[in-house]
Amino acid sequence: MHEMSIASALMDQIMETAKLNNLVKVEEVEIQAGLLKQVVPDVMQAAFEAVISGTIVEGARLKIIEVKAEARCLSCGQVFEPKVDNFLCSVCNKADVEIIKGNEIILKSLTGKNLEEEDKNES
Amino acid sequence: MKVNVIKNVLQANDIIAAKNRKVFKEAGLLGINIISSPGSGKTTLLEKTIPTLMPEQKSIVLVGDLETTRDADRVAPYAEEVVQINTGMSCHLYANQIAESLTELELNKADFLFIENVGNMVCPGEFDLGENVKVILLSIPEGDDKVAKYPTIFRAADMVLLTKIDLLGVLNFDLDRVMEDLRKLNENVPVIKMSSLAGEGMEEWLGWLKEQRNKSIGNQAKFITPE
Ligand SMILES: Nc1nc2c(ncn2[C@@H]2O[C@H](COP(=O)(O)OP(=O)(O)O)[C@@H](O)[C@H]2O)c(=O)[nH]1
Ligand SMILES: [Mg+2]
Ligand SMILES: [Zn+2]
Repeated sequence: MHEMSIASALMDQIMETAKLNNLVKVEEVEIQAGLLKQVVPDVMQAAFEAVISGTIVEGARLKIIEVKAEARCLSCGQVFEPKVDNFLCSVCNKADVEIIKGNEIILKSLTGKNLEEEDKNES
Repeated sequence: MKVNVIKNVLQANDIIAAKNRKVFKEAGLLGINIISSPGSGKTTLLEKTIPTLMPEQKSIVLVGDLETTRDADRVAPYAEEVVQINTGMSCHLYANQIAESLTELELNKADFLFIENVGNMVCPGEFDLGENVKVILLSIPEGDDKVAKYPTIFRAADMVLLTKIDLLGVLNFDLDRVMEDLRKLNENVPVIKMSSLAGEGMEEWLGWLKEQRNKSIGNQAKFITPE
């Protein structure tokens, strides 16, 4: 259920970005969700719908790109893809790593209309 | 039109968390984020830990719960200050809630700041509060499969406390399995077998806390210097 918190943080960034780019309507939101952040797509979708209701983002499509995890072994430097429940290095069999990828949630892009485009649409 | 952004969604939380961490350091406090399922023994652990640290070392407690002030009431007799944070719908604490609580507190009065997070094994792990260490509790009655089922929180742990170890005899709990699952996730994490009721593991736990404080803050004692 941390998806709800993620969705409201996401909403703040969407509104900020929309304002900066003079968007009056947002139609698609693209995010990258690292595997280690444990975002459940269906739950994220529901949370997203809850926070966008009644805003310029209402009705927008949420595109979630799942990002696999990547780790670097701190003993031997090997870079590998860990499983959620297994961070053992394939070379030295130790779970002592630095996470390179998969531990972040990133707002990647917004697609929408600025005032000009919206006017064109209506006429 | 399409706008490319690349923005860390949790940035706002992370920035406040970093500020909290700075406040802890300046106040000479070790921040401890305590995470587990509901009922694993977080509050009981605090009820036993805080008086045992005294009088040399004093504690402040922040307790997150969906509702009620019961846990705050339980630790209030021992702690220098207690703040109950009711999270309502949210299944975890935010850095922001900690930051707000910090403004109400006399931080110089204590050495340790314990944060009892909302009982949950998933969500609290995703939100940095600015703590210096994350302590994860797994109680024996929860079963020996929980490390494998909630790996992410155990991977992030700086300490794992196996609580209610006094119940090991009556429950079918395979300690080796837990240790094996942990080693796949977190090579160096220390594990203490604890019973808040029987006192087992308490000394080791207190030793670890003091060591962590020395590491983060330095060896300055605020009150009576311990022998
Ligand atoms: N047998 C046993 N019971 C414990 C121990 N620690 C806590 N409990 C019990 O577990 C229950 C839940 O404890 P509590 O501290 O409220 O858990 P929290 O929800 O994680 O804060 C209470 O009834 C405690 O008395 C322990 O070490 N051994
Ligand atoms: Mg409690
Ligand atoms: Zn290796």
